[in-house]
Amino acid sequence: MSKLTQRKSLDYVKKDYVRTRTMPGNWYLASYQYKFNITHNNEFLKKLKDKKIVGNQCSGCNRVFFPPRLVCGKCLVKPDQWVDLRETGRVATFAIVYLKDPETGEVQEKPTVLIHQDGADTAIIAQLNPEVDFKDTYIGMPVKIHWAEDRTGGLMDIEYYDVLEDDAEDMNPKK
Amino acid sequence: MGRQVAIVSAGFSEHASKRSDVNMAELVSEAVSDCLKNAPGVDFNDIDAYVNGNMPAFEGVNLPELWMTDWMGARNKPLLRVTTGGTTGGTVAISGYYTVAAGLPKIDTVLAVAFEQQSQGDTSVGLGSVAYGEISVLNTMGIPYDQLSRLLSAGAAIGVAAYQATNYMSKTHITEEDLARVVVQNRHNAAKTWWSHLKMPDITVEEVLDTPYISYPLRYGMVCPASDGACAMLFTIEEKAKDMCDIPVYVNGVASVANESAVLGYDGSGTGQIDPSEQLGAMKSSELAYYQAGISFPRKEIDYAEVYSPFPNQELMWVEKLGLFEETTAPKMYETGVTSLKGELPINCSGGVNSTNAIGASAMERPAEAALQIMGKADNQVPKTVHTSIGHGWGGSLNLCTLMVMSDEPQRKWRR
Ligand SMILES: [Zn+2]
Repeated sequence: MSKLTQRKSLDYVKKDYVRTRTMPGNWYLASYQYKFNITHNNEFLKKLKDKKIVGNQCSGCNRVFFPPRLVCGKCLVKPDQWVDLRETGRVATFAIVYLKDPETGEVQEKPTVLIHQDGADTAIIAQLNPEVDFKDTYIGMPVKIHWAEDRTGGLMDIEYYDVLEDDAEDMNPKK
Repeated sequence: MGRQVAIVSAGFSEHASKRSDVNMAELVSEAVSDCLKNAPGVDFNDIDAYVNGNMPAFEGVNLPELWMTDWMGARNKPLLRVTTGGTTGGTVAISGYYTVAAGLPKIDTVLAVAFEQQSQGDTSVGLGSVAYGEISVLNTMGIPYDQLSRLLSAGAAIGVAAYQATNYMSKTHITEEDLARVVVQNRHNAAKTWWSHLKMPDITVEEVLDTPYISYPLRYGMVCPASDGACAMLFTIEEKAKDMCDIPVYVNGVASVANESAVLGYDGSGTGQIDPSEQLGAMKSSELAYYQAGISFPRKEIDYAEVYSPFPNQELMWVEKLGLFEETTAPKMYETGVTSLKGELPINCSGGVNSTNAIGASAMERPAEAALQIMGKADNQVPKTVHTSIGHGWGGSLNLCTLMVMSDEPQRKWRR
């Protein structure tokens, strides 16, 4: 194995030319038909229209999924219990994105947050009230759903989350 | 139990933001040449099989391994392509390990190659092709397409890293200065590594903090570059390794563990974890790989670590989650110099992903560099003797961790 024979050299690679020739090309990507099972979502979406939020609970590990899941990845069973959730939650994490307006070129600062809904065991990506100063965002900040005026039975019915005071009555679970 | 596998060599191509002097196949051949240069006893005839990988769709070529067959010397030899997003390199290295460990007749020596030439293609199309299948389910829940783009901008790697950063910072009460310190260490190390991309030998913490935010709390100066580059690793069996190089590096543990999806969850159903910096995948993969390698006290037994950290907060997070430091103590270690080149546990002396990120290759450059440190052939060689090192990768659907534990002694515990 230690013979130093037949070593093919690849040194010619850079000798022949300094720069490669670039040929522009495009991918005309096809349209795709993604398939999703949405039976577990119907009940949940219908209730959003009536300003009610529900999650589904796995009977194996008691985790509550909001939005609902088809299968619990931990126990591989179908979560079959519907659980009512409160309108409040807390900021699980946040980041501030800097979006450039394509027309004016103005850079907007916008917090994007993950909300941990009270009573659920998962977090969901959401928007905060646009009037909130992003500098005030912190982890564990109490928030409450602001419902959209025209609800159509979709996740957009939750227009954004309002920020609550730390000792707000809404955060009291007994209510 | 499979055969004991050893790494005999590793090689890199030169990394830069635009390698316009070469195309993908030539870029790969550079890394392959460098890899064989480090093992003078090996020529192409000694290599029995190949593993290859990069991010799908980033360069607009979907079967690049067939294009570059001749450029790696893989003609008429078994060839396998593996791709798992950001961890592609780690998975390719692990596949190289599997191929050798399997013990197939006539397959003893395997060359694993990972590469990326981002300047050639459109990364946003590549990322879109990964994400759209998953996020389009949100359409069925009544979120229109124009809103999806907002979610996408938050869901790409930088968004997730920013989430991890805010959580990590609030847990450990560190400031941006601590993040900048990690960046400075990486940039200084990169300046001493020939193949790295962002070489900044004189950068200071103040200069990093002077750059604008890209996504709070991460600034432009803290973020990894987009590089063109390739990496190659040569695996073989224990018996042959001693003839091929002076100090073979034995692979004693490999693991690749995925956690529940990170941002949107599968079918848009939210995250399994409330805290994005929890990273169960890293903990589980390290638990498994350390067990295989017979490591019970990682902090004491590991001499060198290469972790996958495009963003500084991740470097702090991974070294804790991989058991190298106690929870929340990592920032202190960077401040006191424990992790520097001459420190007790040097980390990312190649500059890490933070200074060089050719996505498909990045996760392989970690075990490659960690192996070279054991051989004593690394460019920015640590002064102390390295017996055991780890190479870590992160990516997939933002939740997959790969880990390779290497040592200068083979692990006999599980072998009869
Ligand atoms: Zn369950």
